[in-house]
Amino acid sequence: MSAAGPRSDPVEDYVASLSAALHGPARTKARMVAEVREGLTDAVSEHTREGLPYQRAVSRAVREFGTTDELVVSWQRELTIAQARHTARAVALTLPFVIACWYLVRNAGHGRTWQLPGTAQVMVAHLAGVAVCAALLAAATLAATGTLARWLPTPDRLPLVVAWAGTTASVAMAVATPALAVASALGTNWALMAFAGVLAAASHASVAGSARSCRRCARLPLVDPSAPRRGD
Amino acid sequence: MRQDAVRGHLDGLLLAALEQGPLHGYAIITAVQQRSGGALELRTGTIYPALNRLERVGLLHSSWQSVGERRKRCYELTDAGRRTLDRERTAWREFTTAIGSVLNPVQAPGAAT
Repeated sequence: MSAAGPRSDPVEDYVASLSAALHGPARTKARMVAEVREGLTDAVSEHTREGLPYQRAVSRAVREFGTTDELVVSWQRELTIAQARHTARAVALTLPFVIACWYLVRNAGHGRTWQLPGTAQVMVAHLAGVAVCAALLAAATLAATGTLARWLPTPDRLPLVVAWAGTTASVAMAVATPALAVASALGTNWALMAFAGVLAAASHASVAGSARSCRRCARLPLVDPSAPRRGD
Repeated sequence: MRQDAVRGHLDGLLLAALEQGPLHGYAIITAVQQRSGGALELRTGTIYPALNRLERVGLLHSSWQSVGERRKRCYELTDAGRRTLDRERTAWREFTTAIGSVLNPVQAPGAAT
């Protein structure tokens, strides 16, 4: 725990210490931290009702709760899985739109004789393949960390795989979209190109940011070596 | 009872505590400790990630509720949670019967000693 000043609230110090040690989606983390605060406040209230002075009640509540070092692994595991699901959701939702947009840009507004240069077509096809694989992996991750986790253990390395799949997909978007746009500029529909560019940029920003957070979470220890494992 | 001994059965304990109706986190911990007569010592802080996991897999549903001037997150069983609790109970009965029959063998009448 952090060093407490003479007027600081020990419960808030504890909550701040745990919060500083955890990384993950802001909303999920805020909810977990709020629950810790509520739980500790309840415990302190109960102990003071039993007659303990406030400071001793806080000490007992914190002792029962566990030190941040003891708890951070189990809390971080849930936050890491939440971040992996966040990244997987971003990939699964945005990539199909981006791929559809690439397809529209490739085909719309051109005569039958117009075609993208061969190199650009091959590159976009390969990058689209990468994006499709990432989207399928993301959908599988959402299933594996959701309902399926009742029966199947969640692999410890899954968040790391999702993080790199998201990173790869965001790079694919970043490379393919301008290449396609430049190639299409030879004789294309500017409104559609602008829409495709904005959509791709927004999707890239969303997926890349989430994948970066997921990589950070996935590097943190998830397994307490002293703890027996059951389920996920 | 040691924390390690409880850990493998934590899901079942939490689901059972919620069988009678929605409870918030600290009330769940209190319910488990009271039902066990104080024999089960749960590290309070480990309960919340477990509740979060059970909600993620669809066995619990939670919502914030106002209790006086404070807001608390209350959990309740889903239908899948009730079915899982039934399965946990069945598995536990089979486990204790099997272990019990080994630890406390009942000798058949007239069996050689």
